Amino acid sequence: MSPATRPNQRRGSLLALNESNPLIPYLFLLPHAVFFLVFVIYPVGYGLYISLHRWNLLEGQQEFVGLLFYRNLFDPSTPQYSFFWKTLLNTAFFTAVSTPLLVGAALGLAILLYRPIFARAVFRAIFFMPGILSVAVMGILWRWMFDNQSGLVNVIREQYFDLPVIQFLTTEWWAWVPIIVGTVWWTIGFNMTLYLAALGGISPTLYEAAEIDGAGPWARFRFITWPLLSPTTLFITVTTVLASFQLFGQSLVITNGGPVRSTQSVIQYITEEAFGNNQLASASAMAFVFGLLMLVFTAIQFRLMVRDMNAEGR
Amino acid sequence: MAALPNSPRGSRSQARWRRVRDVPRFVLLVVLAIIFLAPLYWMLTTSFKPEAETISIPVQWVPANPTLENYAEIVNSPDGRLLRWTWNSVFTAAAFTLATLALCVLAAYPLARMRFRGRELWFWFILSSMMVPGIVTLIPSYIMMLNLNWIDTYHALIWPGVANAFGVFLLRQFFLGIPRELQEAARMDGANSLQVLRHVILPLSVPVLVTLGVFSFMGSWNNYVWPLYVATSPDMQTLPVGITSFSQRYVTEYGKLMAGTALAAVPVLVAYLLAQRYLVQGIALTGMKE
Repeated sequence: MSPATRPNQRRGSLLALNESNPLIPYLFLLPHAVFFLVFVIYPVGYGLYISLHRWNLLEGQQEFVGLLFYRNLFDPSTPQYSFFWKTLLNTAFFTAVSTPLLVGAALGLAILLYRPIFARAVFRAIFFMPGILSVAVMGILWRWMFDNQSGLVNVIREQYFDLPVIQFLTTEWWAWVPIIVGTVWWTIGFNMTLYLAALGGISPTLYEAAEIDGAGPWARFRFITWPLLSPTTLFITVTTVLASFQLFGQSLVITNGGPVRSTQSVIQYITEEAFGNNQLASASAMAFVFGLLMLVFTAIQFRLMVRDMNAEGR
Repeated sequence: MAALPNSPRGSRSQARWRRVRDVPRFVLLVVLAIIFLAPLYWMLTTSFKPEAETISIPVQWVPANPTLENYAEIVNSPDGRLLRWTWNSVFTAAAFTLATLALCVLAAYPLARMRFRGRELWFWFILSSMMVPGIVTLIPSYIMMLNLNWIDTYHALIWPGVANAFGVFLLRQFFLGIPRELQEAARMDGANSLQVLRHVILPLSVPVLVTLGVFSFMGSWNNYVWPLYVATSPDMQTLPVGITSFSQRYVTEYGKLMAGTALAAVPVLVAYLLAQRYLVQGIALTGMKE
């Protein structure tokens, strides 16, 4: 990209109908830019504007109210306060439980699959397969698996282990089990694939040298595999945390947020406030507060991406 | 348990010992694979059972009286519309993928290969939009759809997501890796910038185009929040949304529910088994950035 590699081109006139026209790069950018500005950038500003006004679907925009809807989120006497923070806590709980599972178990699967073994490609395909299903299909499946009476989990508990039925879908705390199990089943293959790619990048000579030095399997994992995977682990953890905070379809389909909002995700609550309660402005304010809280993680993800981009060398 | 590759040296007896040592690992993998496949197996089994047997105890692992009546009923049911939803999803995902590829290729090319004022600034601007979570733009975008009269149209399902930042980023990084000499040589032969893109850059970028294509298609196919609100009429719903309303209708008729779910899942599973290679390559490729 240095100027030396490229002879200085003569700048042509803006009206030139050939390659010297300096507008050519902009013409290439234009189609994307139009859609990008209209459907990505403009809605951010528009959303901020909406959150500062009263607004409903029938009458559209009403009077300016300033930060009212933001203040509501910090005023314990409003329903928005209790529901927003409750559902945010629900989502944080889900994230805190599912992220270690999704990172740790994915690493375990990748290690099991990394060395050649009979039918390795088949196993890899099977572990990844659930990830291509839509969230609706995945949710319906796991709702049926954990059905209060006739779900396979309860039937097996009764028939083979003589254990009592658990009302998974309608009991507080137990309702998280189908959501978390379903999510792990659904998305673990993605993380596993990233770990497999990273394991492929570790030089075998390191392990040979360690073996000669008498390192056992655990020592080899602890002092070679784990440290060399740490950039991958960081990347996977951050993306998994972000994805988990976006929890929506799983709990919507499996429990519909119940019982009594105990598994309702913050995104589901925001959509309920917008489209169920017709409080578009209040919901917009919540979306911005949520987005700001997420910025902690998105900023890390962004930095990681930029670091890789620079490491690739330009 | 440990992640050590076999050493290339070693006698035959060592190799045999390794094979023996692999047995527990293999057994563990088989058990895990069975657990992973169980829900899908149970979906198919249930869908072939007469309604009365779906909840029979003891568990019927294999349907005693297999039947296709569940499938016949839901395909013919007036409120099923599974074919219509599938078509909506296929059409939307295909159009979305083509539009995304076209826009992102055109934008990534000058960002990687031309010099002009504001290039870095614009690239960073696009990139930084990746930090905005989808929920922030959901409500304003919905109101835009209302004002454009796009609710319950394919426009609403296709256009709002096509100018994504990830696609531009992915393609730009790939284009940067294509040797500049090829481009210069084509220029010497009198090719203009569009011809360079078409005859030099694109033929060399097939893997990354396939990756972006597969990701875009899957992203649209599995999109849930957006179509849930902008395509609500039974004729315009996409498959994930339609199957959800379907599941609320057949909430206790497990045979029909699972037949509908299977009809939504099986084509995707078959496509996955055919295109699996590209998908895994794609994840490895984009993950390799790490």
